[in-house]
Amino acid sequence: MKTGQPDTVCGEAVFSELFRTHSKTVFNYIYYKYGNEEKSNDAVQEAFVRLWENCSKVSPEKAKAYVYTVANNLYLNVLKAEKVRLKYSSGLSDSTIESPDFLMQEKEFGEKLQRALNNLPENQRTTFLLNRIDGKKYAEIAEMEQVSVKAIEKRMHLALKSLREEIDGI
Amino acid sequence: MKDNYLAKWLNNELTEAELAAFKETAEYASYQRIVNASDKLQGPSYDVDKAYARLRDKTSAGGKVVQMRSSRMYWSAAAAVAVLIAFSFFYINTLDETISTAYAEQTRVNLPDESEVLLNAGSELSYSKRKWDKQRNVSLQGEAFFRVAKGKKFTVTTESGSVTVLGTQFNVEQRKGFFEVSCFEGLVSVSFNGREHRLPAGSSLMMVDGQLVTASVAPGTTPSWLNDESSFKSIPLAYVLQEFERQFDVQVETRNIDLGQLFTGTFSNTDIHLALQSISTPSQMKYTLEENNVLFYAEDIP
Repeated sequence: MKTGQPDTVCGEAVFSELFRTHSKTVFNYIYYKYGNEEKSNDAVQEAFVRLWENCSKVSPEKAKAYVYTVANNLYLNVLKAEKVRLKYSSGLSDSTIESPDFLMQEKEFGEKLQRALNNLPENQRTTFLLNRIDGKKYAEIAEMEQVSVKAIEKRMHLALKSLREEIDGI
Repeated sequence: MKDNYLAKWLNNELTEAELAAFKETAEYASYQRIVNASDKLQGPSYDVDKAYARLRDKTSAGGKVVQMRSSRMYWSAAAAVAVLIAFSFFYINTLDETISTAYAEQTRVNLPDESEVLLNAGSELSYSKRKWDKQRNVSLQGEAFFRVAKGKKFTVTTESGSVTVLGTQFNVEQRKGFFEVSCFEGLVSVSFNGREHRLPAGSSLMMVDGQLVTASVAPGTTPSWLNDESSFKSIPLAYVLQEFERQFDVQVETRNIDLGQLFTGTFSNTDIHLALQSISTPSQMKYTLEENNVLFYAEDIP
């Protein structure tokens, strides 16, 4: 016996709340994997359409996992990964008064970082960005990717290690 | 260094000593710089409203849609309702207004014609504000008491069956495996499993675990849950405990209990200790209560 809301997601209120809470992360998740905005939007649509079609069989607690599973499986072995292009929300350094040399260095560093991110194996890149950009904890990412928390920690560790090695050149 | 220490570092899981040792390394500055830069990254722009609108377009069926659950038994009775579905085998609520109650919550809904609905815990009611003039149609999941203003036909649709009335007071309860309609005033027609049943004031119709039962209620009164009490007459214990969970928003576990045993009695919706006693004593159970968890159990019979 469970507590909580009625145990389907067929209600408009429940469903739209789930969409508003999770769709952006699903979008980012697929983008980090394949670098294709259009396909990421399509993945969100497909995952939630299927959730709606099966609304009576999915409880609100299971809905998040359901949506990630659908999105995950959609392009597995089908889509070729493209370059992931990320933006910087603000300047890399906090000060506004810097020498042109310094700004140039910062710009180069930013580009190096993006290149290095794209050279990471997909699962490391996805894990790293979900943690840094979307703020997802290791346990959450483990659930989304259906692996253990230890596996996620390993990916994070290796990602950072590879990023540094590539950027520093050693 | 610890296994996966970089991951632990990012998660603030290193001890002070470990952190100090890490900061001494030559690579530390690079790692810090990478993390600082990564924290400022963001993904491509995403418009959630636009995406939601696009989703809604996809999930509406083409053509005229009537708000109801995809319940096959409703189709055979629904001669009065025109349905046009193009290529999809599911329906969606295109009703404007949806009101839901969580566990341990009850609420009152005033419909546009001054009909009144009292929604019990863990329930959801939907209806179309715009279409109310033409059609008084609500869809219900859970339990509600209706006071319907006199006027055109008023229909309540649930997953298990539908109820049609012409200005009266009645209670509808639909939960998994359980469907009950009680008429307190006026006349109600219940469409269930393709058959129609007429319920005059003072009678009730119940389907429990596939069994159809007719019973009586005191006419001119209101259901006990409106007076903060839940009453049951020969109802399997499973349903009693589910209602208990809904009223108090707790989780119930049982051990060595026959959930099919019939329960007749009442429990308070406002005092959990009284409620626990009211349920356990007649059923000869013991219970424990820990925060939000209740365990009902019986000792093993030697």
